[in-house]
Amino acid sequence: MLSFFRVIKFAFQDMGRNFSLSLMTVVILILMLLSMNTVIVVRALTQEAVSTVKNQIDVSVYFVPTATDEQVEEVKAYVSSFPEVVSLTFLDKDKVLEQFKETHKENENIIASIDELDENPLGPTMIVKTREPSDYQKLITALTIPEYEDVIEAKTFGDTEQAIDRISVITAQVEKAVWVLSGLFLVIAFFVIFNTIRVAIYTQRIEIGIKKLVGATNWFIQGPYIMEAFFFTCVSVASSYGLVYMATKFLDPYVSVIFGGQYFLTNYFESNILLLIGSQFIVVLLLTIITSGLAMRKYLRV
Amino acid sequence: MIKLTNVTKWYTKKSIGVHDVHLHIESGEFVSIVGQSGTGKTTLVKLLIAEERPTDGNIEIGGWDITRISHRDVPLLRRQIGVIFQDFKLLEKRTVKENVAFALQVAGESTRRIRQVVPKVIEIVGLGDKIHHYPSQLSGGERQRVAIARSLVHRPKILVADEPTGNLDAINTQEIVDILQRINEFGTTIVLVTHNKDIVNQLNGRVVTIHDGKIISDKKEGKYQL
Repeated sequence: MLSFFRVIKFAFQDMGRNFSLSLMTVVILILMLLSMNTVIVVRALTQEAVSTVKNQIDVSVYFVPTATDEQVEEVKAYVSSFPEVVSLTFLDKDKVLEQFKETHKENENIIASIDELDENPLGPTMIVKTREPSDYQKLITALTIPEYEDVIEAKTFGDTEQAIDRISVITAQVEKAVWVLSGLFLVIAFFVIFNTIRVAIYTQRIEIGIKKLVGATNWFIQGPYIMEAFFFTCVSVASSYGLVYMATKFLDPYVSVIFGGQYFLTNYFESNILLLIGSQFIVVLLLTIITSGLAMRKYLRV
Repeated sequence: MIKLTNVTKWYTKKSIGVHDVHLHIESGEFVSIVGQSGTGKTTLVKLLIAEERPTDGNIEIGGWDITRISHRDVPLLRRQIGVIFQDFKLLEKRTVKENVAFALQVAGESTRRIRQVVPKVIEIVGLGDKIHHYPSQLSGGERQRVAIARSLVHRPKILVADEPTGNLDAINTQEIVDILQRINEFGTTIVLVTHNKDIVNQLNGRVVTIHDGKIISDKKEGKYQL
């Protein structure tokens, strides 16, 4: 226990007496964490953008006005049975007519023509959303069968097929690019931190040798470095998270213009705070401790 | 106290540190080991403090066979042998007091005992007024005295001094030799490695001469002869 307290004391003494080196190490760690958090923000924004685009895509299935309730129910049940279908909204004939009148309320001729008819000329409509834009083609193919030729009047997917295909390709590419970018940043972060710690240990190699010569155990020599790594990790993770939090507060008004809603980034960081801080803390701590151990190994052989 | 039996140390096949060294040093002796540069004197010191392992032969320190000492036991050995070097090997970012205290702290001594012992030892080497100075604020002789204080603080039975006066002027050299003699008078075995002819002749004690890694002379009351 006594040696543990001495290790803590030496750690703080070393940090104070090598203040510029300690500061440089913390600054490098903060910069690397900021880079990693930037990638996290970009990923969150990309995912939100992709999700927003996907949510705006759907397929409308227009039934013929003469379609019976049984026929409509059969199609509804058939579509609902697809695991790819996320939601299905059904508008009956009256609702469709109401929406039609609302849409064309400025055009008196159309409204007058509709009113002159005794019967509602519009059939029911079904709006279907699937998990992925690529699922729409599968759904349309499934509905283009002889049994439903007399029941379904039109499907809007045909008009937007190319756009949906394009969006599918773009979202897949963006996600891939973000993964590659994240991996690249992690590798860069690893090497920068690795070399920063190595330099810090290298400058103290003579001291390490002297400590060994006067009878210090490896634990007594390594202990302060482990404590320093822990302290550097705490300070850098806390500082970078504080900076990221301020940055998200600043960026949120601009982000809300694109995605609607408020505080998207702040909410994202707040709701994932334990995961983000915890994972970054563990990664940086392990990295600094392992790097210190590797860098020190050859100087401990005295 | 120190027993080397047929000790050989090869670094590479062409680089031999010491060859077939046979040396017994009794408790309380003051032995000077002399020889030209590169003859194996420092290798001998490294073998005594287990910084190097012998290629062949046996080494005993105070009855403890350290020939194949484990890495875990090396710190224990070094806490029992005081060592001083030509380049002092002080911790530059620690004060005189902290440098001396460090040797006790690594051994797990209580803070109370450290507070009692450290100022006394520093006083003995004549640096009581510079206890809070950093090594960079001291002269060469003063630095060597700090190193001696550090090596003495846990009362070792053996003190190994590897060229302790190599970086010092004549006055400081004499001061260091006087301190080593006083330590020896208290019963500590001293192994002084040097190529300073004047010191060896002045001590008029046992002189072991090494040449090309071999002991070529071992005299009870010897002089510096090469």
